[in-house]
Amino acid sequence: MTISRTSAAGSTPTAGTTAAALPPSESVAQQTWQAFRRNPLGLASAAVLILLILVAAGAGLIADYPSGYGEDVLAGPSAAHWFGTDDLGRDVFAQVVWGTRVSIVVGLAASVLAIVIGVLVGVAAAYFRYADALLGVIVDLSLSLPVLPLMILVAALAGPSVSTLVVVIALFSWPEVARVVRSQGLAVVPMPYVSAARVIGGSHLWIIRKHVLPGVAPVIAVSVVLTTSRAVLSEAGLSFLGLGDPNSWSWGAILHQAQRSGSLATAWWTTLFPSLAILLLVVATTLLAVAYNDARNPRTR
Amino acid sequence: MPAGIRFLLHRVLRGLLTMWFAVTVTFFLLRLLPGDPALAIADPGMTEELRAKLLADYGLDRSLGVQYWEYLTQLAQGNLGVSFRQNQPVLDILLERLPWTLLLAGSALAVTVALGIPLGVLAATHAKSGLDRFIQVGGITGQSLFVPSIGVLLLYVFGVQLGLLPIGGAMDGDATGAAAWGSIAVHLILPCLSLVLVQLGSYVLTLRSTLIDALGEDYCTLARAKGMPQRRVVWRHALRNALLPTTTLVGLQLGFLVGGAVLTESIYAYPGVGRSIFEAVGQLDFPVLQGAFLMLAFAVIVANLLTDVAYGLLDPRVRTA
Repeated sequence: MTISRTSAAGSTPTAGTTAAALPPSESVAQQTWQAFRRNPLGLASAAVLILLILVAAGAGLIADYPSGYGEDVLAGPSAAHWFGTDDLGRDVFAQVVWGTRVSIVVGLAASVLAIVIGVLVGVAAAYFRYADALLGVIVDLSLSLPVLPLMILVAALAGPSVSTLVVVIALFSWPEVARVVRSQGLAVVPMPYVSAARVIGGSHLWIIRKHVLPGVAPVIAVSVVLTTSRAVLSEAGLSFLGLGDPNSWSWGAILHQAQRSGSLATAWWTTLFPSLAILLLVVATTLLAVAYNDARNPRTR
Repeated sequence: MPAGIRFLLHRVLRGLLTMWFAVTVTFFLLRLLPGDPALAIADPGMTEELRAKLLADYGLDRSLGVQYWEYLTQLAQGNLGVSFRQNQPVLDILLERLPWTLLLAGSALAVTVALGIPLGVLAATHAKSGLDRFIQVGGITGQSLFVPSIGVLLLYVFGVQLGLLPIGGAMDGDATGAAAWGSIAVHLILPCLSLVLVQLGSYVLTLRSTLIDALGEDYCTLARAKGMPQRRVVWRHALRNALLPTTTLVGLQLGFLVGGAVLTESIYAYPGVGRSIFEAVGQLDFPVLQGAFLMLAFAVIVANLLTDVAYGLLDPRVRTA
């Protein structure tokens, strides 16, 4: 026998009559989508993110991999080089395009890893009250430390590579996710339907999967977006300091190259375009999260 | 025990616990990671005996528990080890640089709060207007800025193109007396402004939403009904209550502020702890990296403690909670 939220509600006579009086009800997801569709800022942000993902996926189709030396050194933007060239004559447009791939892959991978750890810890803290004290303190303590210097230390020790970046960023990003998931979980766990599931003898795992996780899912959705943009910023910061993967381009690595060659102060195009790419991605993710939150909330919908 | 003392004691204990956590995390990360500290300073061609001697010199041949205890006692005595590259105690190197970082981060925080409160009030009192929209979009954009990007932009415009402000360093070497202070102030403007632009958004947006909530409370309606001018309702009644979440934000943002300072100092060759991190990364100087993290963590914890205590003095609810 399965008891879900809808069948539990449907078993009471009043719920049946109200449902009949209302027009054919849409699911929450449909209502959210209807509201989201009317928000131009949210749609534009989603479009920008899809575009960036397409650029990341099809980098090879858009530009040749930037390597070797070019003839035009530190040339400004022109028809041949849209974003100009760097101190070795490499095309900055190609660097930004290929950098999109690494920046987005690192951002997404680190975010997924951080979300998995954060959700596990957050749900465990909200559901198992005895674990909350310890987990809550660990999360609180990690959140009050300066994370970037710690990431730098670990990344330097582990040696620079794409996988190092992913693990290091995830390792220090999950507490934020755990904090948000825990506070939402604390609102879900005392709900009557969770107690009901416990009364009928559901196992902890089953209750968490069927009732607690769906309850915190909207928060997780927002977290994915925000954690990704924060991970992209962390990746850019580490790469800018020279802790990026030396064999691949990322937006932060372009800035690192510009800083190291000293062209930072003279050739504005070497820093402006990667900077704009970072800004575009982070603004789009933030606005998307805001638009989703507004669309989901019946009061702002 | 009086509530005030208990509150203070509780916060101090919390600070100590956080510091212990930072130290312990660092210790285990250092020991668990493949970057063997002895290998990092050793030649690949060296003999097995030399390696063993090196391990013994650094105490790496003993059990993890003994090493951990040693590590704690050393740190408690202020021993952060010796820099691989500069052959100087890490503590001495960093203490020389800490004042610059404190100056930069402290002034950035002060300017952020000084600008953030009026901007947040302006947005909240003109909620849903064009001005409010503008401040909100500005806040979100500011939060999304990458610190080095805005740093380079300011440096390029004001330092290189307009030539109004110095492009790096903390002061002119030959300046003395009043000129030295002026030089320090001029060198501080661009790094500080970079940090302010990145931080400001969170403060404005948080204050805006809490102030809008506070203005809808009964006590504000009552104050208005009594005929109190709106200005006084906002600044005397609503703002005082709306500032609590903003103060909590200072605590949450301090770590972020320090991270931003590391990046800013790297851009502007500002001689703080962050700049030594930047240099140590290039030289793989692990003791400096570790010492810098611990020192910055300590600074953040102390600053957090001071914020808490200051707020406890201002708001009795915090003391008794």
